[in-house]
Amino acid sequence: MRRLYLVATVLFWLLVAAFWVGSRGLPPAGESVAVVTEKSFSVGELASHAIPENCWMAIRGSVYDLSAYLPEHPSRPEVILPWCGKEATEAYNTKTKGRSHKPYADDLLAQYRIGKLAPAQL
Amino acid sequence: MSILRLISIPLLTLAATAGPVYWALPEGLGLARSLGIVAGWAGCGLLLASLLLMLREARLAQGLGGLERMYRWHHWAGMVAYVLLLAHPLLLAADAWPDKRLLAWQTLSPFNQGWPVWLGWLALLLLMLGLAVTFERRIPYRIWRWLHVGLGLGVLLGLLHLVMLGIEQPVWPILGLAAFFLGWRIVREDFGLAARPYLVQAARPVAEDMVEISLKPLGEAIAITPGQFVLVAFFSGPTFRGCGEFHPFTVSALGPDGEIRLGVKALGDCTRKIQSIEPGVMARVQGAFGNFLTERAGAPQLWVAGGIGITPFLAQLRAGPLTQQTLLLYLYRAEADAAFLQELQALAAHDPKLSLHAVATGQTVPDLKTLLPAAGDLAQHDCYLCGPPGMVAGLRRALNERGIAPRHIHFENFEFR
Repeated sequence: MRRLYLVATVLFWLLVAAFWVGSRGLPPAGESVAVVTEKSFSVGELASHAIPENCWMAIRGSVYDLSAYLPEHPSRPEVILPWCGKEATEAYNTKTKGRSHKPYADDLLAQYRIGKLAPAQL
Repeated sequence: MSILRLISIPLLTLAATAGPVYWALPEGLGLARSLGIVAGWAGCGLLLASLLLMLREARLAQGLGGLERMYRWHHWAGMVAYVLLLAHPLLLAADAWPDKRLLAWQTLSPFNQGWPVWLGWLALLLLMLGLAVTFERRIPYRIWRWLHVGLGLGVLLGLLHLVMLGIEQPVWPILGLAAFFLGWRIVREDFGLAARPYLVQAARPVAEDMVEISLKPLGEAIAITPGQFVLVAFFSGPTFRGCGEFHPFTVSALGPDGEIRLGVKALGDCTRKIQSIEPGVMARVQGAFGNFLTERAGAPQLWVAGGIGITPFLAQLRAGPLTQQTLLLYLYRAEADAAFLQELQALAAHDPKLSLHAVATGQTVPDLKTLLPAAGDLAQHDCYLCGPPGMVAGLRRALNERGIAPRHIHFENFEFR
């Protein structure tokens, strides 16, 4: 059992080091997503994607298709699902509890960007 | 051992593991991420089972097949949980590898994260350090015991990591149970609330570095049969200063009115101190545990005792004449170590079913093959072994070579680290 502990622990730290080495010299994850064509979505279009299987959100002027990400979001579904189809910047910034998301979440969010939110029509 | 007791711990461990995994079974995620989630929940369930298996309650131990078995599973469940929990963050990060290597590192690294992930890392590091301490035998037991508690703290922090991630529904009950098991163990068992008060009536040296202590119950006596062991903590007397730690001791005799006698050999700091114990010292006794000698069939028996391992057999012999034909092979290093030898010879002289073969083995490892009866003489025998782990392992091998099936070889291990 002692040998299993030693092997598992050493292997764990070697793999952690491998992840770190593998990430060096790369641009931030957000920048690595090439935005070839910048699409613009209206508030109305945004609102038509308001169900868990088809969930868009507008955050800080960008629109994100989070349908694929929702099952991975760590909080309870009822925390995030009400924001599908809506402008969710405030909720994202405060997590509805006055706590902001970490830079890691910003990088993750960038993976799901599909365009920008069009200014509201008067 | 009944089939129910045999499968109780595997079933319990399986249920504790499968329950959370089933609840959290991911759908529609990448393979690595799914495996990472399953590994995390399986580790969580195994740790909960491991916490339950560290409780030293006589009735629980009886239902689960004995304290020694519980401890063996406690160790393995904890170790497998540790490996799964190491794999958990690595698999979550591997989901983004190799296409998004930066994202993979950011998933793993605590530097880009907040309290939910920091708590996960802290829990993992506490498990890592706690297990490193667990394997370090040079640390004195009284310090080792409390460092081992750090593992329990790691479990609680790991569960808080889940709560902070917003996964509250199944975690609060698990966290409650884990805290309950830890609290139960510390308050009832480590602080001795579950133990019963006894008083040292007499103590006499019976061999070199070995003393036999008589204990009288001050209240209700524990229920015990020959072959069982108790956990005892000795406190202070007029001049004696006990270490107050619970250690396992096999009873060497059961007296009237719940009195018990224990054989104590100086094997560590605490048991060495106990050699100078005196009447009037307060003790707390918990148990009884084990089923060594308690479920004997009518078949002829071979008992092999090494040194202090004579105590369970002595308790059985002192309880009355034997009903099975029994050969007692008593091994000790030198005459000075031969505790109770004269009494055993007297018992053998008066009990026609008992044959005693006492052997001074010297300082070298005895040749067990020559000491044991021939294979033909051991046919249909049930064998009971009690002594140092190395000797018991050697005896098991030698008996197997003589064609004795493992189900006819009985032994108990009193190593609790």
